[in-house]
Amino acid sequence: MSAIAKPLIGSHATEEEDPRQHLMHDPLPRGEMNAMVLDSMHTTTWKYWTLAGILAFVVLTCLIYAWYDLIMEGLGVTGDNRPVYWGIFLVNVVFWIGISHAGTFISAILRVLKIESRRPFTRAAELMTTFGLVQAGLSVFMHMGRVWLSYWLIPIPNERTIWPDFHSPLMWDFMAINTYLLCSTMYLFLPLIPDLAMARDRSTGWRKTFYRILAIGFRGTEGEWKNLKTAMNIFAFAIIPVMFSVHTIVSWDFAMATRPGWSSTVFGPYFVIGALHSGMAAVAVVLFMIRSTMKNMKYFIRPEHFDTLAKLSLMVSMAWAYFYFNDYLVPWYGGDQWEKILQDFTQRGPLGWLWYLMLFCNIVVPWSILWNKKWRQTPWLMAIVGLIINIGMWIERYVIIPEALTINRMPFTWQIYVPKLEIFLTIGTFALFFLLYLLASRLIPLIPVWEVQEGQESHMLRKIGKAHISTVSEID
Amino acid sequence: MSDSTVLLAVFEDIEPASKGIGVLQNLGLSDDQMNVISGIPVKEAILGRPAGRTHVAQIAMGGAVLGLLLGLFLIYGIPYLFPLDAGGQPFYPIPQGLIICFEMTMLGLMGSAFLGMFLDSGFPSYTPKEYVSEISDGRIAVLFHCPSGKQKSFTEALIKAGARSVSPAEARHL
Repeated sequence: MSAIAKPLIGSHATEEEDPRQHLMHDPLPRGEMNAMVLDSMHTTTWKYWTLAGILAFVVLTCLIYAWYDLIMEGLGVTGDNRPVYWGIFLVNVVFWIGISHAGTFISAILRVLKIESRRPFTRAAELMTTFGLVQAGLSVFMHMGRVWLSYWLIPIPNERTIWPDFHSPLMWDFMAINTYLLCSTMYLFLPLIPDLAMARDRSTGWRKTFYRILAIGFRGTEGEWKNLKTAMNIFAFAIIPVMFSVHTIVSWDFAMATRPGWSSTVFGPYFVIGALHSGMAAVAVVLFMIRSTMKNMKYFIRPEHFDTLAKLSLMVSMAWAYFYFNDYLVPWYGGDQWEKILQDFTQRGPLGWLWYLMLFCNIVVPWSILWNKKWRQTPWLMAIVGLIINIGMWIERYVIIPEALTINRMPFTWQIYVPKLEIFLTIGTFALFFLLYLLASRLIPLIPVWEVQEGQESHMLRKIGKAHISTVSEID
Repeated sequence: MSDSTVLLAVFEDIEPASKGIGVLQNLGLSDDQMNVISGIPVKEAILGRPAGRTHVAQIAMGGAVLGLLLGLFLIYGIPYLFPLDAGGQPFYPIPQGLIICFEMTMLGLMGSAFLGMFLDSGFPSYTPKEYVSEISDGRIAVLFHCPSGKQKSFTEALIKAGARSVSPAEARHL
């Protein structure tokens, strides 16, 4: 045997990848990037208006008309009935709040950790947060039934001389979701200001007035940047614990009840990781749609960005599996008869296929695909994986809420939940989400151009030995 | 400053801008007689400018304290004012209090950071201001007070340092 070991290299070890495949090493003049982003906002084809028209029609029929019907007829037109009083509306609340976690995770956590590849897609993710929370809020109001009495949740003195009970998990939820909605909307607006100023400088007509008002007089003086960056830093750090608290509190809506399947001490982190799982996957879907349908977006949103998202998704998927197993194992081992009946119903009952489909979508699909770099960098494949994960995560919430409610400690009430009108309202919320996104894509710059330029100015290639290595310096 | 003219020097990049600021400092201008306007944030040290001050963090902390007080009122003040027996639960529980207090503190912190940014920057402001749209194309402008009669020498020195243009700053509607 030779004493000299064979080196572990292939024949391409000396080949260097083209640095221009990375956005940060493929700079364009700022003016050109501005023009590209504005061009993408101003371009609307007949396909765009057709899609917008279809979505608007679906919103009108499936959301507005169906909701009108719900208000006029009462909750009896839904499938909510004993023992399942929390149906798809609540599934949608948890699902949309989960989707909203992506914006904060990508924008705040990646900003705090200085992950550079976040730069072009933070806004697209932040928009998802705001629009996702709108859908979650609407779903809560739908679930209320008598939506015109929703002001009873607000702590104002009233003729009943009673106040909301802040000891109730539902009130914690109300406070947490509103805090998150307000803070994430402000956090969306702050980094948008310089881009609105850029759009203001290059617009005419009604757009000029629109951007002039929204840009609030921003010029980019030293003081303005200092204040803006300080506020953004405060938000980036502060919104992370709020994000964790929101989904933890959502989980407590269930975990505080001593019901089989719900009373779990691990529900908080399990819900948070589930929210991140669906949120990250949804960002991949949205980025693919932006990249494929909007002009010039292929320059800003590149395979490297899908790669970053996919790595995070894989990690989150593994964490979700860990928490799910943790949540599954303890009641299984504990041997409580009601828990055992519920687990048996979930896996082998008439809806057992949903449980297997959930595991397939949330674990098998991401684990089989996201390990491969080439696949991770294929945008359409990432969009499909993202879509599958979201189907899996929606089913997960369905298994947790209406399925778990089917089995309780009073067997004479057991009855399988069959959704009715809420199916249309669910379609309506999805249509509204995409419609809002579609309209926003032509009104506000989806790419934070100043952040991209800042990143490009900070990056340089440094020659070390025979290779050029990417280095980053802080210029702000 | 009545015996001075406000000029706006526009630079292509960070490097010539920092040189230009150095030139102005050598010509006797103090730091408070100039201001930098840029399309991206640039660290003061890079341009040879003194570190700026901001009150956003202090305002945010003040807001956090107010938020905490509001949270305490909601969770402990309300049961005191309007006692409501809910399943024998304690009226003044600490664990539940922590949740509402946390949410209100964070809302106060972030809400006031947002307002603080507006207050400290004087936003919203729609009055005419000295500005050129080239700035949002990535250029850097230095706005400075030039002593009367020295406009020509200042302009020449800045052009030599790499300025694209030096002209009297005109306040205009943005």
